[in-house]
Amino acid sequence: MNLDNFKETWQQQNSDTAAITINQTMLTDMKVNKQMKALNNMKWARIIEGVAFFAIIVLLGQYIATDFSLSAPTISAIVLTIFAIVGLAGNIGQIVLISKIDYAKPVSQLQKDIYRVCSHKLQLTKLLLMSVPFYLAYVFIGFDVLVGIDLFPHLEQHMIWIYSLSSLLLLGVTTTLLTKLHYDNIEISWVKNTIRVIVGERLVNMAQFINNIESTHR
Amino acid sequence: MNKPKKTLFAEAMEQHKGIVFKIVNSYCQNRDERQDLAQEILTTMWLAYDNYDNEHKFSTWMYRIALNVAISYYRKDSKRVGRASEDEECLVHIADFSQQEERSEEVMLLYRFIGQLDTLNKAIMLLYLESEPYDSIAHSLGMSKTNVATRISRIKETLKKQFESQDV
Repeated sequence: MNLDNFKETWQQQNSDTAAITINQTMLTDMKVNKQMKALNNMKWARIIEGVAFFAIIVLLGQYIATDFSLSAPTISAIVLTIFAIVGLAGNIGQIVLISKIDYAKPVSQLQKDIYRVCSHKLQLTKLLLMSVPFYLAYVFIGFDVLVGIDLFPHLEQHMIWIYSLSSLLLLGVTTTLLTKLHYDNIEISWVKNTIRVIVGERLVNMAQFINNIESTHR
Repeated sequence: MNKPKKTLFAEAMEQHKGIVFKIVNSYCQNRDERQDLAQEILTTMWLAYDNYDNEHKFSTWMYRIALNVAISYYRKDSKRVGRASEDEECLVHIADFSQQEERSEEVMLLYRFIGQLDTLNKAIMLLYLESEPYDSIAHSLGMSKTNVATRISRIKETLKKQFESQDV
């Protein structure tokens, strides 16, 4: 049996009007549906996060302005401000992306857009991971704000070396992790499991679908 | 006189509602899911109708939206299942698939076969059975024409083997 022989029978279903009935009045009164509501909720969540990032930037900016010097707490504040700006930019990007979601786009393109929207939690985790090598920045600011002490001049030389080496090591580890955590590598089991734990099964399935659709482009 | 937007949309839906039926039956396992997905497809289409360009075939535009909704929907968690028909007034009613005795055995077999395909191949198969040209399938899905042709040829081969084994 050839698949082409089925085409006619298959297309005859289009005229089977009894199989599906639509309440046209209800349909055309619709202003929003579940997917639109979900996207709207996401947009509001991103706006709230954006406001939080903006508040962090303002607070860190004030902190830097009160003591603009080359001290460890000020440099730490500058480093953390950069992360907050990246976070804010990411949130603005997400808001723009959500408002551009268009279901009439080609399937592969829309699925990639939805993947990007749904992977926001993963991107936030990546941002946090990126800041891990700079963990001393949190320590320096914490000491300065809570105890009023600039910790750096009190550190012994060998401790500075240990902290610097551990930061470099962490930088290597996090860079490897971050480059691997992408839908291209979804077939690698630890990548799949990490994405599943951070965001959920839905994103894993989406990544597999996008990979599948892109597989013959490579 | 120009017909109002609502009337035009209602007419187009009546004419092409078979597409929704075929997609929900290909992508969903149970009746509640089908009903819920059909509702999402129809409402998404209505909300996107303002952007529909008359120069393109309505059925192609409809297929693209319906497939996008189905593919996105299919991944959502199972907690959603059943809610639409339980606590909402029904916007759409899908006939119970298993009760439709008049549906030909060939079509039922085809649905069973499509049900076994992965999400992407299901979409390819649905468009192919509508006699969409390879160019159009490739454009709707955002794939290359060669990729579409290769996949269709593989699907045909698998189907042939399945039908032979069932002695149809």
